[in-house]
Amino acid sequence: MKRLQLLFILFITATSFAQNTGSIVGKLTDKEYNNEPLPFANILIKGTTTGTTSDIDGLYKFEDLEVGSYTIVFSFVGYETQEIKAEVIAGKITPINIALGASAATLDEVVIKTTTRKESEAALLLDQKKAVEIKQSIGAVELARKGVSNAAGAVAKISGVSKQEGSSNVYVRGLGDRYLNTTMNGLSLPSNDVNKKNIDLNLFSSDIIENVSISKAYSSRFYGDFSAGNVDITSKDYKGNGFFDFNVGSSVNTNSADKTFFRSEGTSYFGFYNRYDNNPFAVVLSHGFDPQQADTPIDITFGGAFGKSFDFENGSRLSFYATGSFENGYEYRRGSNVDYTNVEKKAFEDAEEFEYSTKTTAMASINYKIDDTNSLKFNSLFINNASDKVGYFGIDGNGRNRDAILNTDEGFYQMNVQFNQNLIYVNQLTGRHRFNEGKYNLDWGVGYNVVNAHEPDRKRISVENYQFALDNDASTLPTFYSNVVFDNQRYFQNINDDELNSRLNLAYTINETVKLNLGYAGKTKERQFDNIRYGYDIVNANTPINNVNDLNSIFTLENLNIGNSTDGLYELKVINAYPGLSNTNRPGSAENTYNGNLNVYAGYANAEITLNDKWLFVPGIRVEGIDQQIAYDVINLGAAGNSSVVSNETVFLASLSVKYSLNEDQNLRFSASQTISLPEFKEVAPFVYESISQRIGGNPDLLGTQDGINYTNVNDVSYSKILNLDLKYEWFISKNEILSVGAFYKQIKDPVNQVVAFDATGTQRFFRTGEQAEILGFEAELRKNIIIDDETEDAKLSTGFNFTYMHTQQDLYESIIGTYSVSFNKDEEELQGASPIIVNADISYSPTFGNYKPTANLIFSYFSDRIDALGSGQLGNVIEKGIPTLDFILKNKLNSKMELNFGIKNILNPTIQYLREGTSVGDVLVTSPNGKDVTDYKRGLNVGLQFKYKF
Amino acid sequence: MKNKLVLGLAIFGMLLNSCTTDDTADIIINDNSVTNNNGGNNNNDVILLSGTYTEDLTLDSNNTYKIDGALIMTSGTTLTIPAGMVIEAVASGSDVYIAISSGAQIIANGTANNPIILTSDSAAPQAGDWGGLILLGDAPINSVTGAATATSEIASLPYGGTDATDNSGSLRYLRVQYSGGSADGQSENNGVSFYGVGNGTTVEYIQVFEGKDDGVEFFGGTVNVDFVSVVNAQDDSIDWTEGYSGTITNAHVLHGPEHDKGIEADGYNTDIGNNSNPIFWSKPTVTNLTIIGNGSSTGNEAIRLRAGTQGIFTNVLLDGFAEGFDLDGDAGATSDNPTGTGVLNGDLSVTDITFTDVTLQVKNDTGETFANSEFLSGIGNATGTDFASWGADWTVGNN
Repeated sequence: MKRLQLLFILFITATSFAQNTGSIVGKLTDKEYNNEPLPFANILIKGTTTGTTSDIDGLYKFEDLEVGSYTIVFSFVGYETQEIKAEVIAGKITPINIALGASAATLDEVVIKTTTRKESEAALLLDQKKAVEIKQSIGAVELARKGVSNAAGAVAKISGVSKQEGSSNVYVRGLGDRYLNTTMNGLSLPSNDVNKKNIDLNLFSSDIIENVSISKAYSSRFYGDFSAGNVDITSKDYKGNGFFDFNVGSSVNTNSADKTFFRSEGTSYFGFYNRYDNNPFAVVLSHGFDPQQADTPIDITFGGAFGKSFDFENGSRLSFYATGSFENGYEYRRGSNVDYTNVEKKAFEDAEEFEYSTKTTAMASINYKIDDTNSLKFNSLFINNASDKVGYFGIDGNGRNRDAILNTDEGFYQMNVQFNQNLIYVNQLTGRHRFNEGKYNLDWGVGYNVVNAHEPDRKRISVENYQFALDNDASTLPTFYSNVVFDNQRYFQNINDDELNSRLNLAYTINETVKLNLGYAGKTKERQFDNIRYGYDIVNANTPINNVNDLNSIFTLENLNIGNSTDGLYELKVINAYPGLSNTNRPGSAENTYNGNLNVYAGYANAEITLNDKWLFVPGIRVEGIDQQIAYDVINLGAAGNSSVVSNETVFLASLSVKYSLNEDQNLRFSASQTISLPEFKEVAPFVYESISQRIGGNPDLLGTQDGINYTNVNDVSYSKILNLDLKYEWFISKNEILSVGAFYKQIKDPVNQVVAFDATGTQRFFRTGEQAEILGFEAELRKNIIIDDETEDAKLSTGFNFTYMHTQQDLYESIIGTYSVSFNKDEEELQGASPIIVNADISYSPTFGNYKPTANLIFSYFSDRIDALGSGQLGNVIEKGIPTLDFILKNKLNSKMELNFGIKNILNPTIQYLREGTSVGDVLVTSPNGKDVTDYKRGLNVGLQFKYKF
Repeated sequence: MKNKLVLGLAIFGMLLNSCTTDDTADIIINDNSVTNNNGGNNNNDVILLSGTYTEDLTLDSNNTYKIDGALIMTSGTTLTIPAGMVIEAVASGSDVYIAISSGAQIIANGTANNPIILTSDSAAPQAGDWGGLILLGDAPINSVTGAATATSEIASLPYGGTDATDNSGSLRYLRVQYSGGSADGQSENNGVSFYGVGNGTTVEYIQVFEGKDDGVEFFGGTVNVDFVSVVNAQDDSIDWTEGYSGTITNAHVLHGPEHDKGIEADGYNTDIGNNSNPIFWSKPTVTNLTIIGNGSSTGNEAIRLRAGTQGIFTNVLLDGFAEGFDLDGDAGATSDNPTGTGVLNGDLSVTDITFTDVTLQVKNDTGETFANSEFLSGIGNATGTDFASWGADWTVGNN
């Protein structure tokens, strides 16, 4: 049994120099990390208490050693310990340079976690092996190798995880957003999107990630709102002695390259918009409708990172790390937009959408290692994420709308111009303290997050007889479609989220076999939402449109119909008039507002009990007090529209995880836990968001029943109760090889599904659709080296493969009657969002030509068809068709400073489709609110080059 | 004199590293020609009505009332309006309406000489100034199965059930004006909406004048209506869906410059589906119907029948349309939209029909093949409804 110790013994070299002594000096390098210097490794002279640590450059030295033979022990957490014999000769310096590689052997105690470099695959595998829970991670090295540019791509490389194409949705074992949690450094992260609980992982570019892990089994230190997994992003943590690097890259998309691009008027190249301080009515009057031409569609990325450390005489060390990056992207989608329920309501068989997106990321962290036992870290992250979409629907003049007035068979056309900006601020302060030689470990963190998500000035126009715009006959012109005044509209939406969160864990090592964790976690989160919309009431229904690309000349101030005159062309209408003002041609009040609060306060305890080196038991208990409240003032809900729902619950969540080590390399794990799933604000707030052909809204019944109302099949519960069972076998074949197989079962009481409600408009809403859902799954993972380099023992050719199969089933009530109602004409169905089959695979080839060592990677992933929205009544389900993805990445390290990388992404270029099943004309292509405004499209191949330089 | 919106000086600002400039103008409103709402509170004699009533509400003919929000009568209550009363509604568009919940009743019995009028409070009223009148009941609808309920497009109130004889009260000599305000981005109020209203209800002599959306709309139910006039509805004048199966006797529709169809009819709510068991479709009996359009040269169609609707029409006069009947559906009796099957089985037919200035009598998009004669009989025999006699005195806008 080996025991790692970290000793900080500083040698004072002031002692007199004698000729009967010599010294040993050398440099440690990191085999797992491009043979870069390995700092903070322990070097001990065997049989003595004399030791030192390598410095930032990996350098160490022992001076004034008596002449003779020594055995030097080199060790580093997670790495193989090496012993080297050395002769010290009087007056001479004996050099010993050594490269340490990751260990395949077990280590019994990880003393200082902060010095573990959890970027390499081998180190993370070791971490996974040591972990007391079922967890998988992917680190910076693997991310770089696979050409993954952000955290969303990262998690999708983990077994049982799939991404929804064209959206930020990530599914773990088929369970989506609602069943996941995202944290950074163990502290909650806010969501950037009103429609989501989790933040878009695409926002975390790889230069701020040290590693991303998914814990698939619950441990009492997690918030109870957990079922499929907890995604934790560990931010990059620099402790080296200083570096600066930058990268630039560029790519083109085969779909976009030859297009003339369009984006909103009033937005900037960098994805900012600065009219938020203006009253929306002033924006409507001052600025036009028409989109503007964007730049040439060439994607650009650039960024840099900088790190520096300072040592102080008292042994403390202050490290800074800062990174900043910008990237943009042009995506062109051509396909269709169809709303088909039991009949075709609206169909644009030819639609196109231009999307210009930008992402600006800046992160700064300060690490203060006070001494051997205390450290503090401050981390501040800013993200600006913007998307600028311009969609034209029915561009062939053949669009159909069954409610059209002039012509239901052709010529229906819509334009949607939409800019979304999300500003995210995350601030965290974390600390670690060791007392009593590590008997007590205290970890804590506080975080404050702010998200401002804006959808300013979305413009939507509806036109009939668009085919007349395509002919060359000036005597026939298209006209505005104005069935409802909001068929032509400007829309403004704001969301503000504030969250304060904290965690505290005290680990107490009672003895060799028992370690106790006691902890507290709390978060208080508030969301404020408001929106307003102005409709263009076209005075004369048959107002001709001379040029649909020049709406600015129609919607001028001069053409505003003021007062009782009838010589104007349009009037502006608002739903909620400002008190005392008319709802015509006047600024209005917010159309919908809601205010959501979630407070969670939790205490927990768990014990890590080791029995005869084979067994590890971790029983745990967590108590959570959960307050959920949502107050809303929404339109079209009568007296019930201005109301609030409150729920206060205390839950007790027990968990047990057991690990049995079959031998040094093989583990058997079992885990059982009780968890919950809380509804999201957007699922509860009865506000309806209208996309080009879909409506989606919340349902306050998810927080339980109210007095004085008759319900059918609405339970008075405010959360879903979940039972999780996991069984897993894992075999760590070598330091970077693994085989694992596992089975899991989940039972979800009162599950929430997205369903079309029976409310005369076909709005999709959220319901607790049945008593329970069950999931039974199997997963397997293999990472194997095929060809090993004899010299370095690194893999030349290696492959990874993981596979998940799931069977899901939920029962459905015959009918649900509450604030909203719905019925089902079937009594069971698969779970929404669950793909029965998920596959990820990759193959990596890295030959060596002297110093030139390129790495080629081929990465594949696939998910099978899954239910996107559950069909109610006679309606069939909407199915998201499964798609394969294949990327090729070539990393070229030219020398120790320069890297030139090449990639082709989306090589198979599959067609992205959603289908409505079981209509009387078979399966029909439709548009999904979970996807893009265009369906049945290809994303195109992305071909790009990237250059990196490190000083 | 026409006033202008005067735009103030633009203020330029820069935000972060943004390249955009904020050249948004300030708003200065010098336009006094629009009547702004003052909430109606300055007149102490006016009694404001809104909110949820859990007890009967009987209006006194000696008082003046104004509706300033959603007035919702809950189950078991009755709203009584005396003959001759004019009730104004605050012209603020949305959420100003009267809703008679399922299990509640409205008693609004005017007379030919003293009709009841529900109208806008604006000095210059426009269509869409306020919501409208909504009646809900527990008569059968085909969007749900058995005793289940659906919720209304406006206000999300429950409706539908198994009681075909549901009695939601009585409407006689009632005029609804300038209704149809938007309830959200897609939904508008109608003049009078009947949600699952049963045939125990009395509805005769009603008019909808200058409505922004549909004139009269039936969401299922079995209610019978006699003597209906719709003038200048900007959407469909008469609309039915969700398995409506009452009778409409003596209906008169006059289109204004802005309008959609005279009748738009669905067999079921296509957003939700036909979930009835045993299955049924909308099948009203429409007798003595006149629809007057703007002339065949203006395009437009008089009657759109779709989504499997059935119906027995007798004595129909259509005047001034490009299309008389437009039928949509899918082929096959078991399809979701068997409109054509209805024609072939005789469940959708027109007996005695006169086309005046109508270019195309029937446009068949049902997927089924049939001759016009299988759908229409007695062409030229119809005289429509005798509006001049029954519409005298209490209606407006028919000149």
